[in-house]
Amino acid sequence: MSENRQPALPARQTLTRAALALSGWVTLAATALPGNTPARWVPVLLFVCFGPGLALLIPQPGPLGPGARLETAALAAPLGLSLAVIAATTLFLAESFSGTAFLVSLAAFTTLASALPGLPLSGSARGAAGRTGTSTGRG
Amino acid sequence: MPQHVPAPVEGAASGSAGPVPPPGTVPADGPRPRLAAARGPGALLDWLPLLLAAALWISSLPYVGFRSMGEYGLLDRLPATYYLSLLVLTAGFLAGLRRADTAPWWPALYCAGLLTALKGLPAVLYDSERYPWASKHDAVINHLLADGELRPYEGLSGNMSAYDQWPGFFTLNGGLVRAFGADSAAAYLNWAPVVLGLLTMPVLVLIYRTFSQDRRLVWSAVWIFQLANWVGQDYFAPQGLAFLLHLAVLAVVVRHFVRPGSAGRLRSRSCPDPAAAAVPPSTGTRQRAVRAVVLVPVIVAVNAVHQLTPVMLCATLLALNLTRRYRNPGLLAVAGLIMLAWDLTMGRPLFTETLGTLRDSLGELTRNTRAGYAGQLTGAGPELAGRAGVLMVLAVSVLAGAALLLRRRLAHSALPLLLASVAPVPLFAVNDYGGEMLFRVYLFALPGAAFFAAAALVPAAGGTGARRAGPAVRRLRAAALPVTLTALLAGFLPAYYGKERMYYTPPAETALVTRAIDAAPEGALILAATGSFPKALHRYDRLEHWFFAEQELPGNVEMLKDPARYLSTRLPPGTTAYVVLTRTQEIHTAGEGLLPPGGFAALTRDLAASPLFRVVERTAYGVVLRYDSP
Repeated sequence: MSENRQPALPARQTLTRAALALSGWVTLAATALPGNTPARWVPVLLFVCFGPGLALLIPQPGPLGPGARLETAALAAPLGLSLAVIAATTLFLAESFSGTAFLVSLAAFTTLASALPGLPLSGSARGAAGRTGTSTGRG
Repeated sequence: MPQHVPAPVEGAASGSAGPVPPPGTVPADGPRPRLAAARGPGALLDWLPLLLAAALWISSLPYVGFRSMGEYGLLDRLPATYYLSLLVLTAGFLAGLRRADTAPWWPALYCAGLLTALKGLPAVLYDSERYPWASKHDAVINHLLADGELRPYEGLSGNMSAYDQWPGFFTLNGGLVRAFGADSAAAYLNWAPVVLGLLTMPVLVLIYRTFSQDRRLVWSAVWIFQLANWVGQDYFAPQGLAFLLHLAVLAVVVRHFVRPGSAGRLRSRSCPDPAAAAVPPSTGTRQRAVRAVVLVPVIVAVNAVHQLTPVMLCATLLALNLTRRYRNPGLLAVAGLIMLAWDLTMGRPLFTETLGTLRDSLGELTRNTRAGYAGQLTGAGPELAGRAGVLMVLAVSVLAGAALLLRRRLAHSALPLLLASVAPVPLFAVNDYGGEMLFRVYLFALPGAAFFAAAALVPAAGGTGARRAGPAVRRLRAAALPVTLTALLAGFLPAYYGKERMYYTPPAETALVTRAIDAAPEGALILAATGSFPKALHRYDRLEHWFFAEQELPGNVEMLKDPARYLSTRLPPGTTAYVVLTRTQEIHTAGEGLLPPGGFAALTRDLAASPLFRVVERTAYGVVLRYDSP
């Protein structure tokens, strides 16, 4: 049953989620550094690419299907970049765009998303719970 | 955490930087032979080629003569160590493939290494923006940041308002520019192919692993994809990002939108090809609805970023609806509605305009398949690039076709991937998209084509044994993959770097252009032979521009007879025009066959000599002339 296959130690999971929740604000803080230094652009790039996406996708609910981690890793960036595109475009449409507003909106979203359970995107489908065995048993 | 892999016998003494195969990849799909045998010398083959290739590549950098490129672009300016590093990388990848099942990080690292080695060169070396169109996009970002708002209905010159109508990529990069604290995107845009490639790689692996459980096939397909991705659609442009998002949607669809009860025969063990993966578990209607909702932001982003990709996405979803497995009319409807909504609101001006011209281009297959503008590629480098490109397309197509014939069962189980690849082809019948449709269709077909090409090359493991091939055939089969990968590598380099002289402009030349355009008063007109040089569209929201040689050859021949009169009679009265003629334009017009040989030099000479045009500045890189119409 699924209880025997809890995905992660609760402490580690909480740590990951806490780290994600803070990542946006840490990035915002990093923008106080002088422009174009690695200490500034590396966190920004990593956060914008992966922060919101990972916050949405982990932790994964239920038993993990095959390739679940790959799926989370692969889809984090497209999902996150989609949200970043929407955030930036909305700010421009509202004529209230600025670098800070952009990062704040993404950071707030990431903090909120990391508090909620992950999207049912990776992992096995609940409806096929009985089939999880066959889908993995290619032999 | 899923069960931990028992400590691998990789020998800490080897000092290997190699990571332990992460626990998550111990496949849950059945028992595998444990890493029982000691891998001592074998482990060397994992990281040594990578290290060696990196060393060779880095050592080659100071000797890359990108500032003195001749007819062959970068090809004859690359030192032997560069080519050697690529070969070592290929060899290391092939060696690592043999253990791809148990050590998947190595093929991944090698693929990332290939990407960096091939496309990271300009990013590391160039002191200016590669590709004039990347510079154009930089200008759009600067315009948006300066204005702080979007004006999709403004109607800027040269259809530049399209970028206000589908602004997603530019707004995102506006945010990045501000967050990075950079002056403009020019500081980092050369890295776009590497970054996009690295982000695309896991999505590709995800798609491939849905259809094949043979890791060698999967990684070979990724490698082939990278080598075949020479079309230059992954530079700093909306289409690169849109393509990544499109692939992500495709990955989610093939993994999570399997209809219940649709893949019965495929789940039986006797039927499929040994390399085929099991069909993902089916999902009920409610689950698919939830996942569709999750996909909505991604689809909205695709629409916000690019105008053509949503069409490709809908075509792909439509094609998938032809299979029983992936019949999801609801998702197709959602995607179609979002596209329509964007086209009728933000994108209305260009959308209505395209609908109007559609009647002319509909059915014009020959015209729509022609790449680029008017002329024939001229010059050793461009011609070589063109021919290499054609050969690469043929090679990949032939291989993919061979796989469809030789591995029919795999083709049957991977039918959705095949359909997704050919789905955009009918768009040829609709529009030529400014000569670009050929490259776009190729790009969207490439993931599937690379998969099947790899399927043709990677021998199926665990055959039935009923037809045991003779030793000669087996040797041939074993040699197919290394030979093909090397051949594709040999084709990639000319296709990607053969025309490099057109794509690199020295900073001094760009400074000349920037000075000229900055000096132009508001309402002035900027003239140039073509728009394919950096900063051509600097301040495009304040100045009109006219790239007068971007037309069919007969028009240019006529222009060359008396350029001064040709231009002055076509300029409206009371305008101030700045004619900017630079070395990069000369290379471009000659290479693309827009002007006959010597035509650009004659043009420059005649205009400078004309009393109507006053020389404002002349340097080794070009000349700037001013014309005030009476």
